[in-house]
Amino acid sequence: MKNFSRYTGAFVLLMVLQLLIFNNIEFSGYVNPYIYVMFILILPFSIPSWFLLILAFLSGLAVDLFSGTLGVHAFATVMAGFVRPWILTLNITSEVTDPDMSPSLYRNGLRWFFFYTVTVVFVHHLSLFLVELFTFSNFFHTLLRVLLSTVVTTFFIILFDFIRPRR
Amino acid sequence: MRSLLNFLLRFRTLILFLILEAVALVLIFSSHSYHQTVAYGAARTVSGFVAKRINAGTNYFRLRHVNEELVAENIMLRSRLEQMGAGMQEHFLTVDDSLIGVSYSYLEAKVVNNSINKQKNFITLDRGSRHGVTRGMGVASSTGVVGVVVGVSPRYSVAMSLLNADFRLSASIARNDYFGSLAWDGISHRYATLSEIPHHVRITEGDTIVTSGYSAIFPAGLLVGTLTGEQERGGDFLSLNVMLSTDFKRLTNVFLIGSLNREERHNLEVEVTR
Repeated sequence: MKNFSRYTGAFVLLMVLQLLIFNNIEFSGYVNPYIYVMFILILPFSIPSWFLLILAFLSGLAVDLFSGTLGVHAFATVMAGFVRPWILTLNITSEVTDPDMSPSLYRNGLRWFFFYTVTVVFVHHLSLFLVELFTFSNFFHTLLRVLLSTVVTTFFIILFDFIRPRR
Repeated sequence: MRSLLNFLLRFRTLILFLILEAVALVLIFSSHSYHQTVAYGAARTVSGFVAKRINAGTNYFRLRHVNEELVAENIMLRSRLEQMGAGMQEHFLTVDDSLIGVSYSYLEAKVVNNSINKQKNFITLDRGSRHGVTRGMGVASSTGVVGVVVGVSPRYSVAMSLLNADFRLSASIARNDYFGSLAWDGISHRYATLSEIPHHVRITEGDTIVTSGYSAIFPAGLLVGTLTGEQERGGDFLSLNVMLSTDFKRLTNVFLIGSLNREERHNLEVEVTR
């Protein structure tokens, strides 16, 4: 129950930040950071993958409802939720003693957290930008937008993880 | 039966993943015209309200610029008024009706929400069905074409911006009337591409691009932008780079353009071409 309120709080906070601040960042159309992905990143290690997918879908849908892109963010978040367990098994460390804790910079180290974040964020942004346009024409322009946005999103997520309360 | 259950259990994550992605895709396609979902209508009212409050503050800082634009437009309109008095009537019949020859009506509106940083940008205006706005109306500012209304609620309307990958506009080169299709290339908010111009057309840098009036959304001759001189030869046609005359980054005052005869014209065109 304590966990429930903690993650709901994190979700609402990320949503407010995304809709009021990060949706308004304008850098000639190349940088669109979507920091709300952090919600999927910080869910605990032990979360069952089916539940992770459902939460990912709902969080994407919430962003969709407020930015008028019904389905686009939901598609991308489900994709991110699907790859998360794979990436965790790829570079899991032996230090995970408590499976109920959430992946973080503080416990898992900067290097680990950076690679974990950057991969999930890249998968999310790539599927988001491709589905938003629904075409492969101008692919390298889209890819450039994905890469730049991934860098900025990752930067902010690491920054937020740095200042987030440690349990 | 048991093996089927085992199969489902074993791949439950993958199956759930595929189902959720399918649902997302269905949502994307069914809401293709952007605004039609009921849920979105509710969110629109809320975000429209918030955006209006924020805008009330930022508008103040743009007053100087808006004033300059209005003065320029007043001068332009005054000179056009002079010309109209001198114009000749071109009708077979003489009918004493001030509405003859008037085919477009105008309504001013304020931009309450706008974006330029996405691939599909939309603009929210503070006029809705209560003020007579309908889908398909054109939106322009004193500096040129802005977009087309795609959704209307009682108090607000949403226009598809020219800076939208789905936006197409029939535009022509003012100097020689060759027309083509104008679309945004999705890269810079200052430039768009005019395609389908035949090879033999001579173009010069700085040529004015205006609306062709073929769509009955915009009147003919409304400013769109100027040619930058950059061009691309591909296939049978030229693609020309156009610098847009409207700066979408500081859009505040626009006007809605309603075509009074659009239905009659549309019905005739459908009837004949069917």
